[in-house]
Formats: sequence, C-alpha cells, structure tokens
Amino acid sequence: MSLKSLDPRINRMNLPDGELPPMEPKAAFDQFETFEVFARKRDKTPFTYAGPVHAPNADVAFLFAKEQYSRRSACSGLWVVLTRHIMVSPYANDDENIYDSFEVEIPEDTTWPLESYEVFHLKKRGKAHTHVGRIGATSYQEAYHKAKAAFAAEHPAVNMWVVKSKNVLQSAEEDRDMWLTLPEKKYREPAAYKVLDRIKKFKEEEEQKALTK
Amino acid sequence: MYGGGNTFEATKAEDLEQEDAVKLAEFEARIAQGEKIEPDDWMPRLYRMQLIRMIEQHAHSEIIGALPEGTWITRAPGFRRKLALMAKVQDEVGHAQLLYSAAETLGKSREEMLTDLINGKSKYSNVFNYPTYTWADSCIISWLIDAGAIVNQMANSKGSYGPYCRALERICAEEAFHLKYGHDSVVFMATGSPAQRQMVQEALNRWWSQIMTFFGPSDKLSVHTETLMRWKVKMASNDECRQQYLDMYVPKIREIGLTIPDPHLHKNEQTGQWEYTEPDWEEFRKVINGDGPCNAERLGVRRMAEERGAWVRLALKNPTAKYVRPLA
Ligand SMILES: [Fe+2]
Ligand SMILES: [Fe+2]
Repeated sequence: MSLKSLDPRINRMNLPDGELPPMEPKAAFDQFETFEVFARKRDKTPFTYAGPVHAPNADVAFLFAKEQYSRRSACSGLWVVLTRHIMVSPYANDDENIYDSFEVEIPEDTTWPLESYEVFHLKKRGKAHTHVGRIGATSYQEAYHKAKAAFAAEHPAVNMWVVKSKNVLQSAEEDRDMWLTLPEKKYREPAAYKVLDRIKKFKEEEEQKALTK
Repeated sequence: MYGGGNTFEATKAEDLEQEDAVKLAEFEARIAQGEKIEPDDWMPRLYRMQLIRMIEQHAHSEIIGALPEGTWITRAPGFRRKLALMAKVQDEVGHAQLLYSAAETLGKSREEMLTDLINGKSKYSNVFNYPTYTWADSCIISWLIDAGAIVNQMANSKGSYGPYCRALERICAEEAFHLKYGHDSVVFMATGSPAQRQMVQEALNRWWSQIMTFFGPSDKLSVHTETLMRWKVKMASNDECRQQYLDMYVPKIREIGLTIPDPHLHKNEQTGQWEYTEPDWEEFRKVINGDGPCNAERLGVRRMAEERGAWVRLALKNPTAKYVRPLA
C-alpha cells in the first residue's frame, strides 16, 4: 500500500504507508558549514549583518545569501564570510563601550606586510552589526587595537567583529544588474492588493439589494 | 510562520536553584532593563531549552506549512495567483531557514533538528495536519492562519533573545504580503458568484476549529509560565493571543458576508472578552501526537525530500569543514 493523498503528485511518488522505522540521524555536515552574510540597501549605506546561511562553499553561500537576504528588499551589494573566519569580541552591556573593558595582547612574532581587515560594530544588543571601516594590521589582535583607535570614540559598540578582507566574498560592481529584479515582482508587495475597494463595492451592492427588496 | 499552537509536551521544569545565583541575577536584571540576550551570554538552562523548543517548532511549522499551500500552486486560478502563491511559499521556506539558524545559535544543530522533525520527536503547528480540499482552503490558510501566525510573531518579536528578534523582524516584514494576498483571495471568492461564495464558506467551516486551536489551550498558570514571561520568552498567554485575534478578524470575516460556524461566538460586552464553543482539545491532543488526517503525509513528503536529496548533499560535502554555530 502506498500513501494516499488529495494531491495526485504525491500519489505518484508511491510513498510507503504506515509506520516507518525511524530515520538514521543525519550525519555531521549534512547541512554544511555556516557563513555570515552582510547586505547593503543602497550604494551609499554601510554593509549590515543580514544573517547566516549554510553552504558547502563560498560561491554557493553567495547564491543562497542572495536568495535569502536580497529577494524581498532593496539590495545593492552582498558580502559573504565563513563564520569561522570572523574574530568576535565579548559582549558589553548596552550602556558600555566594549573597547573600554576588553584588552588583547598583540603577539610578538607578527610579521609584515600589513593585511587589510574589515571591522563591524554592534551598537546595541538585538540590533545588527554594521561595517564601520577597513584597517591595515599584521594580526587580528593588532587589528583590534587599530580599530579601537580609529572607531571606538566615534562609534561606541557593545560588540565588534573583525575579519580579513581577503576572506570576504564581495559582490562585484560589474554584476550590479543582478540587483534589479525587485520592481518586476510587485505582487509581493501588500500595496499591490486593492482589497478594500472590493469590500466597499460588495457592501454597497448588498445595501442596494436590501433596499430593492 | 506558523508558530504558536504550543504543544502539551512541556519542557521538564528545571530547578532554578541549581543555577549560579549571581549569574542568574545579572541575567534577570539585563532582561528587566529591556536589554537583549545574545548567544554568548550566560543563560539559565531552562531559558535555553525553552527557546530551542519554541524556535525549532516555529521553523518546522514554516516548512511543513509550505506543503498544504504548495500543493495548490499548479492549480491556482490564473498566472498572477500562481506567481503570488509561489512567492509566498518561498517566503515560508525562507522563514524556516532563518529560524533554524536562530535556534542553532543556542546549540542545537540543523542536522539534529531535521532528524527530530522527521522522526516525530519535535512538533510543528497542528493545523497543518489537516488537508486542503479545495483552492478555497488554501486561501483560508493564507489569510486566517497567517493572521494567527502574525499575532504570535509580533508578540515574540518583542522577546528577549537577540537572534530570534532579528529573524522575526525580517519575517514580519514579509508576512504583510501574505496577509494582504490571503485577504484578497478570500474576498475575491466571498464577493464572487454563488458557487465561489459557497466554496469559501465551506472552507471556513472546515478550518474554523483549527483556527480556534491555533494558539493552543489555555495556559495552566504555573510558576514555570510566570518565569518564562518574566524572561520574555513567552510574551502573551495563549488566551490573550486568541482574544486579540478574534478582536481583529471576526469583524473582517463577517463584513464579507461569511458566517463563522460557531453559534456561541460573541463578545461579552461586560467583560470585553470573546466567548465561544470550547474547541475539541481531545482531538487536538490526538492529532498532535500523530493521529491526524495528514500527519503521515506531511512527514512522509519531508522524509522523501531528505532521502532523495541526500546524494546531492553528500557530493557537495566538504571534508575539511569545521562546524561553528552561526554568530548571531
Ligand atoms: Fe512564515
Ligand atoms: Fe506567512
């Protein structure tokens, strides 16, 4: 016996009916590694944390990220980073600046040349990390110190993330037409539905009917 | 979503006295001040377990909820409705993605959550264990079940856990389209031909008791509930959500000439509370525990997708991967 459904397509699948033995637990990495995604609404606005995706590699992560985080709202650029490439500071209270209480030592054996790092700040718990700038450093620790000197006063933060620029997969300027798909899909906007007009017309007709009776 | 419909399977009450008193006091003070909790913060075990259970159930409800509606995409009347329903169903699957990640920040992997769903160990909203007989059923879900989900999600978006709030903010923005689309498709039928009116009325008759159970049975007032409310995990009681829902949607259902199939439904002017025929909680219990018209089909379809897609995931698997939970 196969499972009976109201949907003919499900009937055609011939799914087994009745109790099945439990499925073997899914293996580790069946759902792949985690990546973090940053999106920019418009050209001039900073990249802001959108959320995670799971993917087998950065290119696929980018595709998933585009679907997940730019499908429904304005977007003019995406950055994708493997989660384990991000260095994270502790979290401070909302009324504190993390740079005031957190110290790191710069390792002695750091070597030149400088590498470029991207710095993200969380202004308030529950909000999203925002890109505050780029700095050159020889280690994550040094990047933290330089970020503190460069951004702590102007952009107080409860938490900061730092990541090597080379580990950020960035959408390219020449591909920018990939962000132009939103306007064709007006049917996903609440404003596309003129339901109140229809209700009003219905009520008027009902009133008319009642009167002519 | 479709979260809500809190199930009977309660998290075992953890003994708060076993928690570090100083850390617990700091944690509670943070929440009392209106600050959000982030994944790296210390949190009581009860908080972590309860949130995992809630967010995971919410995620499962999104992907399972996509099935009874998705089944109507090919049969939706007209190209425009096909496009809109397809976009809505895609949103719901996206909501599941966001929510699984939020639950993962608390320490349960996606692999574990998906395994628990398929093996019936974790639940999803009970309303999806019922079939969609006609196109009108899918319209009723899009409008009135999504409306219930929105009541829930709006409340939860003011909760204390940062990653859940971030996910819900995105989800609520997308739900505005679902509600409008659903309302529009129901109104279209209710104001259409006599056959269309009859079809949508019959769908409402079938779904009303599911709608009434959507928020779950009245909460038993326990110390446990009080703690979860203080910690801003549970933001409103099931009855409060139901009352708010009835306030918002009973007039909207009636104004288009539909009849709600409960002769006892009325607002008590003295108490300001809606009174109604108590839904059949025995049936609710039975169905949520596996014995409903569509339980086997929903899990069967999900399991088939898992199993038939396994080779793709295996082929793409990266042997050098290292697991790190999402950051936020
Ligand atoms: Fe949803
Ligand atoms: Fe929805």
